[in-house]
Amino acid sequence: MKDLIKYIAQALVDSPDRVEVSEVVGEQTSVIELRVAKEDLGKVIGKQGKTAKAMRTILSAASSKLHKRAVLEIIE
Amino acid sequence: MNNVIEFEGKTIDEAIEKACDEFAMPREKLNIEIVSEESKGFLGLGSKKAVIRARALSFGDAFSNPFEEGRTTVEKKAEDVEPEKRMVMTTDDAARQARAGAAQTVLRDILQRMDFDFPVTIEYNDEYTILSIQGDGSGILIGKGGQTLDALQYIVNKAVSRESNEGERIILDTENYREKRRQSLIALAEKLSEKAKRMRKPVVVNPMNAHDRRIIHLALQNDSGVTTKSRGEGFLRKIVIVPTKKTRQKAQSAQ
Repeated sequence: MKDLIKYIAQALVDSPDRVEVSEVVGEQTSVIELRVAKEDLGKVIGKQGKTAKAMRTILSAASSKLHKRAVLEIIE
Repeated sequence: MNNVIEFEGKTIDEAIEKACDEFAMPREKLNIEIVSEESKGFLGLGSKKAVIRARALSFGDAFSNPFEEGRTTVEKKAEDVEPEKRMVMTTDDAARQARAGAAQTVLRDILQRMDFDFPVTIEYNDEYTILSIQGDGSGILIGKGGQTLDALQYIVNKAVSRESNEGERIILDTENYREKRRQSLIALAEKLSEKAKRMRKPVVVNPMNAHDRRIIHLALQNDSGVTTKSRGEGFLRKIVIVPTKKTRQKAQSAQ
């Protein structure tokens, strides 16, 4: 899951080397924390949060395959 | 830092959505005060927008931007230009193939990391480049109402347009979903058009994305009994099917 979000975020931002992803694994739900360069924040959120929403949708499809849940937090 | 910003929307939810958007924070992290609720009015008259005041709860340096201070309204334009219509048709074949190849790589990489290691084929037609995922038939990549497929399509397009802003849109498909969806939308459009004519009242279709709306508009453009228009903003934008005056009069005189 971490790799997935990292890959997507790096494909969208201007400074891919400043993309950091960490995962807080829970029993049922894990939290994926995404950090990007301040200038890139808008790129991973998108207009009306559309990009963030798309990432969350992809993340839930991927985690539902593993019968798990994952939430994406974009950290400023 | 603790600046309060006022937002308005057609509904409280829409206003909150705007607030979340503006602060780039989830709803839980905002202090939201409802100033006034929306009111539908009567027959569209005297309708009022919902107004809320929002303030970020957490601390951080993200809002030290002086341009953010004292900003009271959020301006947002509806984006209803059908992307297909803005398409650049002059891209030559080489550029088209390079773009399709790049998109295929991105999509394959994403799918692998989702643990869906499916082959992706490229198809071209006059209008689009279509990336077709040879799925396992589980429908998990399609998602409810196609939302997963649309999300992947959106990300892939974003990723390949980063370098080259030009070029056409790339369509993602799996298990012939796009065509099936098109057929069911056309059937829905026809059913709702009949309903609008029978009831002699406008019929509102559920909110849809630009592509789906386009299918409905096109399906009914030769239907002389109704006209179609779009209402609302962003992902809440929806089609209204309105019976023409003629239809309404004809139905009246038939009574």
